[in-house]
Amino acid sequence: MDKKQLQKFIKWLQEKNYIVIGPIKEDGQILIKPINEPSQLDFSGQLPLYSFKKFLVPSREILFKYKKDDFKADLTAFKQALIGVSIFDLKAILLYNQVFEKDPYYQARLNNTLIIGQSQIPQFQSLSFKVWEDKYEEDILEHLQFDIFLGQAKEKKSSEFKIFTGSKKGQQILNDFTKQSGWKSDFEHIEYAGPIKEQGANPEMTKIKEKMPGSLETDIWQNLDQRCIECGKCTIVCPTCFCFSLADQPCLNKDEGMRKKCWDSCFYAEFSEITGGHKFLKNTAERIYNWYYHKFVRIPDEYNFPGCVGCGRCSMVCPAGIKIHEVLESIKNKK
Amino acid sequence: MLNSYLPKIAVIKNIKIQTPEVILFTLQLKNKEDQKNFKFIPGQFIEVGLPSFSEAPFAVCSNPDDSNKNFQICVRKAGQLTKKIHQLKINDQLTVRGPFGNGFPENLTGNILLIGGGLGLVPLRPLILANQNNKNFKMQIFYGACEAKDLIFKDEYKTWQKSANLALTLDKQCPNWKGNVGLITTLFDKIKVDSSATAILCGPPVMYKFVIQKLKQAGLDDANIFLSLERRMHCGIGVCQHCSIGSKYACKHGPIFSYQELKNIPGAI
Repeated sequence: MDKKQLQKFIKWLQEKNYIVIGPIKEDGQILIKPINEPSQLDFSGQLPLYSFKKFLVPSREILFKYKKDDFKADLTAFKQALIGVSIFDLKAILLYNQVFEKDPYYQARLNNTLIIGQSQIPQFQSLSFKVWEDKYEEDILEHLQFDIFLGQAKEKKSSEFKIFTGSKKGQQILNDFTKQSGWKSDFEHIEYAGPIKEQGANPEMTKIKEKMPGSLETDIWQNLDQRCIECGKCTIVCPTCFCFSLADQPCLNKDEGMRKKCWDSCFYAEFSEITGGHKFLKNTAERIYNWYYHKFVRIPDEYNFPGCVGCGRCSMVCPAGIKIHEVLESIKNKK
Repeated sequence: MLNSYLPKIAVIKNIKIQTPEVILFTLQLKNKEDQKNFKFIPGQFIEVGLPSFSEAPFAVCSNPDDSNKNFQICVRKAGQLTKKIHQLKINDQLTVRGPFGNGFPENLTGNILLIGGGLGLVPLRPLILANQNNKNFKMQIFYGACEAKDLIFKDEYKTWQKSANLALTLDKQCPNWKGNVGLITTLFDKIKVDSSATAILCGPPVMYKFVIQKLKQAGLDDANIFLSLERRMHCGIGVCQHCSIGSKYACKHGPIFSYQELKNIPGAI
C-alpha cells in the first residue's frame, strides 16, 4: 500500500465514523491527537512524547452517575482508530488487555477501537528472500495484538507499506475497503501466538526479577531517595503505568454526582496511606522501589512478561535526570 | 459482563453503639434476591460507601449463617465518610460492593487462638459466632483494647465464653477494671499457648511483630499463623495497585495471609 492509498484508507475510516487518532508533528515534537486530515499524520517513526495510553485507559472516566439511589453506568464507547501505534505502545496494550480483562468499561472501548500498528521492518522488497521478514513476523508481530499493522521498509525511505492483519476485525475492514476502493489487497495475516516468545520468558527480565527483591538494602535506592522529587511525571508518560483511584464528584444539585476512576501515582505520599495516617510506603526510597518492583517483579509474576516496554519516556521527562537503564544496570550488577 | 464497580444498595436495619467512636450497623440489601444470595467467608471485606463521600473497606462482622437475611459492619469514626455514616439512621441507605478477598482458611479444627487488637476483633467475630457449636474447634480468644471504654461487643462476651476462653487486657489501668493490664503480648506470660494451635491475628500493624515473636516462642509453625492485613483498597479486585504486598494484592490474595507467605516480603508486616 503506498502513502496515497493509506490516506484514502484513513479518509474511508473517517467516513465510517471512526475518530482517527495518530502521531502528528506540532512545535517540533510528535504528539498523538485526533486528526482531521490524513496528511497531518507523521509516519517518521519518531517516538511521540506521550503514548496511546489515554485513548484506551483514560486519565478520568465516569464509572456511573448517581441521582439519589439511581445509579447509571454508561458503557457505550465511540469508534476510534488508533493509527501509527509503535511496537512499544503495542506491548503496553498487551498489558492493558490482561489487567483490564474483567473491566467492562475497558472492554467496551477496546471493542470499538481499531488498532493500527506501525514500525519500520527489515527490507521486504524481495519476496523470494523472506528470511528476515519471517524472523520479524515470528519474533515480534506474532506476539502483539493489533488489527492492522503497517510495515515500513527499514533500508530506504520508502512510502510503501507492507500490510499485515492480526484479527478478524482487521481482515474484515481491509476486505470492505478493497471492495469499495479497488485497492489491490495483498495483506498477510499474522496469527497471535500469545505475549511470550517461543523460547520462553525474556532472560533479561528474569535476571532483574531475581536481583530486585534482595536489593532493598543496597545504596541503589538510598541514592534514588536523594534524587527523586516524587513529581510523578514518569508515571504519567509511562505507557504501562495504569494504577488508579476511585473518587466521588458531587454535583451542585443535592444527591447527584458521579463516581470516577482517575489515574493515580504510586509516588504520591497518600498512595498507601490508611485510616489513622499510617503509610506502608514510608519514604521516597520505598516508593521508587515499589515502582520498579511493580514493573520488574510483580507484573512478570502475574503475566510472565515485563512491565516495561523499553520506550525510555520516563528517562526523557525525569527532572532529576534518573535514567531507567542505569538503575536496571545497577540492579543487575548487584553482588 | 459483570461490573464490579457498580454498587448495590443496602438499607440500615439496626444501629448499635459500641463505644463513643464505634457503631455496629446491621445492613440488608434492598433487592431481596440479592440479599438471599449474599454469602461471605469470615475475614472477607466489602466496600461500603455513600454517594458523594466515596467508599472504604470494612470487614463483614456478622454470623455467616445469617447472611441470607442481613449482615453487619463495625464503623469507627475516623474520616469524612465514616463521620457521615455515623450520622445515618435506621432505614437510611449505603452502597455495598463485594464481598472481596479470600477470608480465613475454612474447615479449621483443633486449638484455635484468635488474637484481636483494638478494632481487630471485628473481622474475628464471624469466626467466633459461626463456631459456637463446633465440637472440633477449641477456641481461645486474646483481646486487647486501649481503655475500658474502647472494648467492643461487650454484651456478647458471656455468650462467647460458653464456647471459648476469652482473655481480655487493657493497655491502661481503668477504674473498676479487675482484668489484666498491659499490652496484648502480656497475656502470653499468663496463658499457655499450645504449639499445635492455629493462630489468627488481627490488629494494628505495630501489634503483629511482637505477637508473632510470642507465637514463635510458643512453637507455632509459620504456616499456622494467619494475619489479616489492612491496606488502602480502592477497587477490591486486584487492579488499582494501592494494596500491593510484594507480588500479591491484599484485596484479592488476602486480606488473610499466612505468616509463611509474608515473612520474606519486605514491608508486608
